[in-house]
Amino acid sequence: MNSFVVKVSNLVKTFDTKKIIKNISFNVNENSVTGVLGKNGAGKTTLLGMLMGLISPSSGNIEILGKNLFFKKNEILKEINFQSPYIDLPKKMTVEQNLFFYSRLYGIKKFKDIINDLVKKLKMTDLMKKNYGSLSAGQKTKVNLCKALINNPKLLLLDEPTASLDPETSIFIREFLLDYQKKNKSSILITSHNLEEIQSICSKIILLKLGKIASNGNLNELLKINNYSSLKDFFLGQG
Amino acid sequence: MFGRILALIIRYKTISFGSFPRLLSIFYWPSVQILFWGFFSNFLIENNTTPYIGVLSIILSAVVLWDVLFRGQLGLTMSFLEEIWSRNLTNLFITPLREYELVFSLIIISMLRTLIGLTPAIFVANFFFDFHLFELGFYLIFFFFNLIAIGWSIGFVVSGLVLRYGHSFEELAWAIIFILLPFSCVYYPLDSLPFIMQKIAQIFPPVYVFESMRKILIDNQVEFQQLYRIIILNFTYLLLSVLFFLKMISSSRKKGLLINQGE
Ligand SMILES: Nc1ncnc2c1ncn2[C@@H]1O[C@H](COP(=O)(O)OP(=O)(O)OP(=O)(O)O)[C@@H](O)[C@H]1O
Ligand SMILES: [Mg+2]
Repeated sequence: MNSFVVKVSNLVKTFDTKKIIKNISFNVNENSVTGVLGKNGAGKTTLLGMLMGLISPSSGNIEILGKNLFFKKNEILKEINFQSPYIDLPKKMTVEQNLFFYSRLYGIKKFKDIINDLVKKLKMTDLMKKNYGSLSAGQKTKVNLCKALINNPKLLLLDEPTASLDPETSIFIREFLLDYQKKNKSSILITSHNLEEIQSICSKIILLKLGKIASNGNLNELLKINNYSSLKDFFLGQG
Repeated sequence: MFGRILALIIRYKTISFGSFPRLLSIFYWPSVQILFWGFFSNFLIENNTTPYIGVLSIILSAVVLWDVLFRGQLGLTMSFLEEIWSRNLTNLFITPLREYELVFSLIIISMLRTLIGLTPAIFVANFFFDFHLFELGFYLIFFFFNLIAIGWSIGFVVSGLVLRYGHSFEELAWAIIFILLPFSCVYYPLDSLPFIMQKIAQIFPPVYVFESMRKILIDNQVEFQQLYRIIILNFTYLLLSVLFFLKMISSSRKKGLLINQGE
């Protein structure tokens, strides 16, 4: 009990001479959905990038699933995954080829069954033989999400997963994610500018402001303490 | 480890050989070059412009061997640049793929592309000009591996530069070979170059390969010292270039270039 999937301490990132992440520390609970909020340029993507080892921190310490990211990166990467509409998959391969490719990279055994199952749940069977490059934004999101779930990650990082989706599809994706999280008892760390979305799926939030943590805690408690009726008011007041 | 290398090889195979235009670009050039140089050499021989009958064999060997270097470099660079162009680096680098596995995969796919691209060219040479590349015997294999290794060295440097410093270096993927060409003494001996150029040429390994090739074809002689020099130079350059490539990846991580690498 009470173990953390992410433990960040004194994390700093400086690009050139500009400090983007300013000495932040926080933990993310097991079996939870945590929203990372903040205005454009607050440092959300940079933070996620550091949690995946894509961006090296200037200083500080990151522990994921009880392991140190600096020393055990490859072990950790097997257990986590990431999705963002701003990151593509190879365009010149079909969806199926892409999913097979990533299954092999993650060392998944019997991946065809796993993919079949995911593809059905995501209602994307008809996309399998299409070239990834020919898909619409919403279709790409589904495929990216499928790729992100292929290794059954214990920690799933999502960077604005529903940006550019129509309301119906975003609700579908949102519910799919919640369902997945509950069934697998994984943890999700999600950034979004859609505050309703965050309010509907996250139990915890971390609010970043100019690279510092402005608030961090249980969503409902934070709203209550500060006397806000919605996350939007909170965001406008504190963000 | 092998699973992940295999995954990458299947991927590069799919994109390299998956469509007709791409296939054509791999096969077409080497054969066209053979035809071009072959007919030209025949023309020289028939007009008695050259007193030396072996000229055909020298020129065609040079064409094929130079293409090994060229293809080796291009096969490696294009495979890696494909990841940048398709904005796939983020997804790739968050898998358990290790950097040395990427290095090996790029080397293997470059080798496959080169072999497959050159095979028709060798048949063309054989058919039209009765040219047998295998005259070089064992040394052909030696030259092949050393030239393709030079291609890899260049490929890793170019790939690293494009990753780290962006699209402006893409031109280099094509141009660098032509910068190296005059210094490589592919079609003429080293002493036909001006002194300064000779000195520059001697820093790089290709010149020794082509000098040795001519020595074998013309004088039927092998200079072993030259061969050792090729191996040592090549090994050093390949090692340095891989280290450079890895260094560029790590510096891209510091600069945040592996995520949101928008156009
Ligand atoms: N590779 C980089 N090099 C230099 N500066 C960077 C780099 N990446 C991000 N930044 C800067 O760091 C700051 C935070 O960027 P980041 O992308 O993390 O913000 P964000 O919170 O994800 O914003 P958004 O909501 O717009 O996605 C911005 O000022 C940005 O310009
Ligand atoms: Mg962002």
